[in-house]
Amino acid sequence: MPASTNKTELLSPELLAQLERLELVSRKIFRGRMKGERKSKRKGNSVEFADFRPYVHGDDLRFIDWNTYARLDKLFLKLFLEEEDLHFYTLIDASMSMDFGEPTKLQYAKQLAASLGYIGLCRADRVRIETLGTTVRDPGPVLRGRHNLYRMVEYLEGIEPGENISLLEGVKNFCIRNSGKGVLILITDLMDKTGYEAALRFLMAQQMDVYVIHTLSPVELKPEEQIKGDLKLVDCEDSDFAEITVSRPLLDRYKKTLASFIDGARTYCAKRGMVYTLANTETPVDQLVSTYLRQRGLVR
Amino acid sequence: MMFLNTLGPLSWALLLIIPPAILALYFLKLRRQPLEVPSTYLWRRTIEDLHVNSLWQKLRQSILLFLQLLFIFLIIIACLRPGFSGSSLDGDRFIFLIDNSASMNATDVEDAADRLSAAKNHVADLIDQMKRGDVAMILSFSNRAKIVHQYTNDRRKLLAKLKAIEPTNRTSDISEALRVASGLANPGQSSFEEGDEMVAESKPATMYIFSDGQFPSVQDFSLGNLNPIYFPIGNPISSNLAIVAFSTQRNPERENQLQAYARIERYGDTAPTEVEASLYYNGDLLDVSRVSIPEDGAAGVQFDLGTLEAGKIKLELDVKDDFALDNVAYAAINPPRKAKVLVVTSGNEYLQFALATDEIEKISDVAIVDPTFLEGDQYKAESAIGAYDLVIYEQCAPETMPNANTLFIGMNPPSEGWSFGETANIPQIIDTTRSHPIMSFIDLGNVSIYEANAVNAPQGATTLIDSDIGSLFTIAPREGYEDAVLGFAFLAIEDGKSFYNTEWTKRLSFPVFVKNIVEYLGNIERGNTGTSIRPGAQFNYRTEAPMPEIHIKPPSGKERTIGRHGQNMFSFSETEMIGTYDVREGAANDARQHFSVNIFNSQESNIIPSNEIQTEWEVIEGKSQWSPVRKELWKLLIVFAIIVLIVEWYIYNRRVYL
Repeated sequence: MPASTNKTELLSPELLAQLERLELVSRKIFRGRMKGERKSKRKGNSVEFADFRPYVHGDDLRFIDWNTYARLDKLFLKLFLEEEDLHFYTLIDASMSMDFGEPTKLQYAKQLAASLGYIGLCRADRVRIETLGTTVRDPGPVLRGRHNLYRMVEYLEGIEPGENISLLEGVKNFCIRNSGKGVLILITDLMDKTGYEAALRFLMAQQMDVYVIHTLSPVELKPEEQIKGDLKLVDCEDSDFAEITVSRPLLDRYKKTLASFIDGARTYCAKRGMVYTLANTETPVDQLVSTYLRQRGLVR
Repeated sequence: MMFLNTLGPLSWALLLIIPPAILALYFLKLRRQPLEVPSTYLWRRTIEDLHVNSLWQKLRQSILLFLQLLFIFLIIIACLRPGFSGSSLDGDRFIFLIDNSASMNATDVEDAADRLSAAKNHVADLIDQMKRGDVAMILSFSNRAKIVHQYTNDRRKLLAKLKAIEPTNRTSDISEALRVASGLANPGQSSFEEGDEMVAESKPATMYIFSDGQFPSVQDFSLGNLNPIYFPIGNPISSNLAIVAFSTQRNPERENQLQAYARIERYGDTAPTEVEASLYYNGDLLDVSRVSIPEDGAAGVQFDLGTLEAGKIKLELDVKDDFALDNVAYAAINPPRKAKVLVVTSGNEYLQFALATDEIEKISDVAIVDPTFLEGDQYKAESAIGAYDLVIYEQCAPETMPNANTLFIGMNPPSEGWSFGETANIPQIIDTTRSHPIMSFIDLGNVSIYEANAVNAPQGATTLIDSDIGSLFTIAPREGYEDAVLGFAFLAIEDGKSFYNTEWTKRLSFPVFVKNIVEYLGNIERGNTGTSIRPGAQFNYRTEAPMPEIHIKPPSGKERTIGRHGQNMFSFSETEMIGTYDVREGAANDARQHFSVNIFNSQESNIIPSNEIQTEWEVIEGKSQWSPVRKELWKLLIVFAIIVLIVEWYIYNRRVYL
């Protein structure tokens, strides 16, 4: 099922309008690089009071609370919360296996990344979209501000299937390049013959707020509709093949395998503090964002 | 199962190529259509599990192949046109005549236990072929006919009744069955049950006769509306050895010795020509004899039994032939009948002493009375009805001769032809007729007689003791009885004193003489063979004294009580079983008599089936084979093949794998 070049717009005006009302949520408070609209763990220059601290040499005299000094005859520094931006990473699995389905899983991933990215842009977060194939030399752009929507979409549309190497390698590269903390959305089908566990472990080590969006097309979820007869199934990535004769017991068995695969991934993520969401490409992106991801707490 | 080839060699070659072709196509089909999928990851994991039971999986995967092969196999079988052989039923009214006589117990048939079962199977086949509206009735016959079921179209009932037909040990005679059948088929003959519509409307009918054809030819019978079809049951090359006669009798040379005589016949070329015959007495082996039977015919065998008491004897042939019932024969030696003896004497110690011996008591009931008894009413009544077997008058005579054998001692009987000559002193005995039973073992050489009269006898008399003055002892017949007259008395009376006229009474020969008298004139038969009747025949029995009932114990062991009909007459007809039956009178503990039931019928023992049935005017030819009507199976096979095809189509489309 080769990919049809899907020219539908990544973001429709209605979707944009809907997305503008949303906000990305981080379950942890992360240190941003630039002053943003979010509270930071760092004490800083915002108007929001945080705490007092005894004065030590070298502290900025401007932050001394003179009223306290007058009352207690001791120097205290008044601390304010710093408001910072959110680092929002979207990691798209652009393997050949994502180039299946109607719309293709990759297209779906792009749409999802665009939607979430736009939310981030609107809230002045640092939005960075990368594919698993992105190398150190060619990192994705870091975008901030609504005006960068066009660049983001342009970058997304430039993503071609088959860019990335294995899931593990891709994630490894990403982790090397991005040591910062933040929210990470991994959009993938997890179809890696070596297993997805190692890759997810890398992400966990980053102490990021990780969301795994498991994208599966109807071909994978309901094969009985498209796979019939005696077939030689060819893997589009490594040309591996499996000879099957489709039968009811085989399909039942496949469904069992699929269910245990999904369940395994969900359990694996849940145990490691990651949020797992299964996304069927048949589910519209706006519904996914406004309903499912809202329920998962990624947006509000 | 028979097959009819419907295709030529070329067609067969083409047809037989198809299964390998299907196999080849199936292997070619295994070049699976390639399909690119996102990942074989999940599929691999799925089929990995299946590899564990891959053989079963392969079988499951090729169910379509199997169904196709089954389909073509069914088509090939259908092309062979398989079918069962059956016989056709002509007409719409059928009468099935089934022989259940003794010879139908022969085991010379294939596919069945015996001939009767084979016949029943054939009839069941025919009943199965009855069409809607056809009616049939079943008759069974041995020496008499029995309507097993009246005309009906209820096949289930017919089959149930057919199953219930039991073999019998009777002889066969088809004529009664034919008459019954013809009465139902020909108008103008009486019906069996009033208001029976089926019988009333007489119509032509097809009559199927299942028999071995061994019965007397049918006389005075015409078939009329009946269309007979005769199926001989049995194997023409069967073999049988049979005892057709078996009885005991006295040795004519030695009266007290018994002999058993049997006649053995041989049927069929394969029957053995030599056989061992074992004789059993009350269950114990008594004698064995080897009998050679000529190629074509019969042989007799004789056994000397000596002096056997009453009991049952059985003769058994040690042979395994097709018909076992006639390899055994039964006979019985009945206990001697006790003679009723009346002795009229005014007193004779020696005579009374001789009549009191054990031997005499065993064979007779002796009553001793005074001559005055002759004037009483009891004597007159009893002598008139023949209540006595023997009356001995010692020096007295009745007014009229009794209805019994008599012995007159020293007295002239009041009967025509008898007279005494002049009284002579000390006659010389010249000769005794020793060949006569009365005089056997009697030596009168040491006997002298004081006074005697010559006996003049009527015609036909036999002189038993001859003397110089004439006959001293004569026996002569009288209307079925015999009178013996002794010309001298044992006691003589002279001058008012009695003395012994002869010393014979003191000699050893005297008690022997008395015993001979009682045995011969008392009508005692030693070794009386019990009657032998055919199975199913009526046994009539007459008791001597009035009895309210008798008990008959068949070989099966369950005693039956029979009430009398008429004066002292009893009849018993449950004589189906071959063997010896015991008859016990009234409250007596021991069997009074035995009778035996044997087949003893050459026609029944000749089990080689006859090819035709002879009637007086017609000959019914036997069908050597069943009419070649086939019950076709190919339609069924084609239907089955179509079902297979539908199942295959369904599985292919729905991917429902079993």
